[in-house]
Amino acid sequence: MNPPSALGIVDVHAHVTPRCFSDAVLGGADWHGMTSADGELHNPMNRWTLEQRIEAMDADGIDVQLTSPTDVFYQYHREPAATDRIARSVNEEVAEMVRARPDRIAGLGTVPMQDPDRAVAELSRIVGELGMRGVMIDDHVNGHTYDEPQFDQFWAAAAELGALIFVHQYAPTSVEARIDRYFFFNSVGNLVDRTLTFGALVYGGVMDRYPDLKVCLGHAGGYTVFALDRMDQGWRAFPSMRGATLGPPSSYARRFTYDAVTYEPRTLRYLVDVVGADRVVLGTDWPAPMRVVEPVRRLSETGVLAPHEVESILRGTAAMLLGDNDRKAHETCP
Amino acid sequence: MPVIDVHSHVTPPSFREAVLGGHTWHTLTDAIGELEIPEFSISAADRIAKMDAAGVDMHVLTVNNDFYRYELDPGLTQEIARACNEEIGEMMACHPDRFTGLATVPMQDVERAVSEMEFAMAKLNYRGITINDHVNGVTFDDPRFYPFWEAVESLGAVVFFHQCGPTLVKARTSRYALPNSIGNLVDRAVTFGTLVFGGIMDRYPGLKICLGHAGGYSAFGAARMDKTWRAADMGVPEFADAKSIPRPPSEYLSRFYYDSCTYTEDTLRFVIDAVGIDRVVLGTDYPAPMVQDDPVTWLNGLPGITEAERTAILETNPAKMLGI
Repeated sequence: MNPPSALGIVDVHAHVTPRCFSDAVLGGADWHGMTSADGELHNPMNRWTLEQRIEAMDADGIDVQLTSPTDVFYQYHREPAATDRIARSVNEEVAEMVRARPDRIAGLGTVPMQDPDRAVAELSRIVGELGMRGVMIDDHVNGHTYDEPQFDQFWAAAAELGALIFVHQYAPTSVEARIDRYFFFNSVGNLVDRTLTFGALVYGGVMDRYPDLKVCLGHAGGYTVFALDRMDQGWRAFPSMRGATLGPPSSYARRFTYDAVTYEPRTLRYLVDVVGADRVVLGTDWPAPMRVVEPVRRLSETGVLAPHEVESILRGTAAMLLGDNDRKAHETCP
Repeated sequence: MPVIDVHSHVTPPSFREAVLGGHTWHTLTDAIGELEIPEFSISAADRIAKMDAAGVDMHVLTVNNDFYRYELDPGLTQEIARACNEEIGEMMACHPDRFTGLATVPMQDVERAVSEMEFAMAKLNYRGITINDHVNGVTFDDPRFYPFWEAVESLGAVVFFHQCGPTLVKARTSRYALPNSIGNLVDRAVTFGTLVFGGIMDRYPGLKICLGHAGGYSAFGAARMDKTWRAADMGVPEFADAKSIPRPPSEYLSRFYYDSCTYTEDTLRFVIDAVGIDRVVLGTDYPAPMVQDDPVTWLNGLPGITEAERTAILETNPAKMLGI
């Protein structure tokens, strides 16, 4: 196994809109039913080359980017076979980025979660054959939450493969039922949806049934760490509604990792206080408009973290999440 | 100064008696009112005994949120509101040193809402009103509510926000009490954001708004709202109306009051640090299952909360907010 420092500074929350898609739709064609309205192509950074991506990483001081497909490529609402075709194309392009620059890019894929058999097959392929680290998944699958038993085989496979599950919403989030203004679907909704995913995985017993499962909650887990206060009170007040939990929700906080996408020192400090710096990992949401600008410098100079906490967030936690697979990824290089 | 709890509920005893006796009460039935918890309807004397035991001098009474009934014909909603306001108003009149109150009003009809608010404040000595986070799905940035806010401001009414019915979480899951334990806090954060981004706090600078359940996720969630406010400068079309206000949303946090209905010191500390110690008021949610039990003892036992902060939360701030 590589020493933790071998990975350097890792950004676990960064996206790519694959060129196989953008070349097709910008040329006027339809791509597996997706069009140029998808993929956030109005942001020119979503069309950048791998070289431009690495230049941006250099400028930000990022050694390795854990690159995931943009959330629009989930496509869970389609026929499973169609989603599977999309996922395979997207995953192969991410794997190609990894093969081209294995020292700088690690990959997360996407899988057709609406069909757990196919999801497991594709997860096994991308981790086992393509050297990728895991997958990014939505907070729900066409309205189904992850406490439901049909997903158990997926968790079992992810735990067995040592795959990292990175949870990241796709619009519309649950806030849009109330209001479609002020960008709340994102600024509030992303954080709500992540909190509900924490709740579903914990109350559904998933974290207990699969003790080796590695789940990283994007956007710092949303409101999760702040929400434990009332979730715990609900757990105490309503004993009949404890689901499969073995203890109050807060006792599960350290079973997850959380990216550091927080924007404000007080929020980041609270996250670290609740879960520990060894459960927080650098994330930027690059290249979205909401990305953390100058992430490494800001994290280092935030003024609320001790040096060992900064070190954990920049390097240590990522090494724990990804280090075991590091050698395997390199071995798949051509 | 008295210790004042700004978040406590009543299910009108006459309602309980009627519906448990097989009757309706202004058309309402035993489907509402949390009848499984009789403490919502205990006598004034019994309630005062509970308050004495907890070291609480005064309850700010609000009707159980099931009685909002904004979905009914406005005339009927006003009739229900009037019945609630008069019955609870009588508790206040008999024990003016132990009870004050925030009335319910028919928010789906702004004229009636204003007239019921005026009546409750002028004739029944209410300090303001309690309202839901939305009115049949319409949020409070909607211009139809401008005359309402104008009246609230000119009357000096306290507006206490408290959810009712399915919260936003319910659309995703009904399990594990999450529509309450997460949903209440989501709905409150959306209300904070809506009042701020909708320009209500700028248009009506004198508003006295108290966000129940410690403002939900507002204090913690302001950081990402601030980021959208700043990111709006990047010219992304969806962001355009995230720049509708002159200052970032976090700078509006100290414009609101927040009840102290939290359960851990870390959470309360975060709220105090984010909104300012002069904006936090004791609120327990008595007698709901999620009540912050024995609040004075609890606050006294928190090592990181200073004596000055305790006095502010228990006594000074609620009195200032309510004009007592």
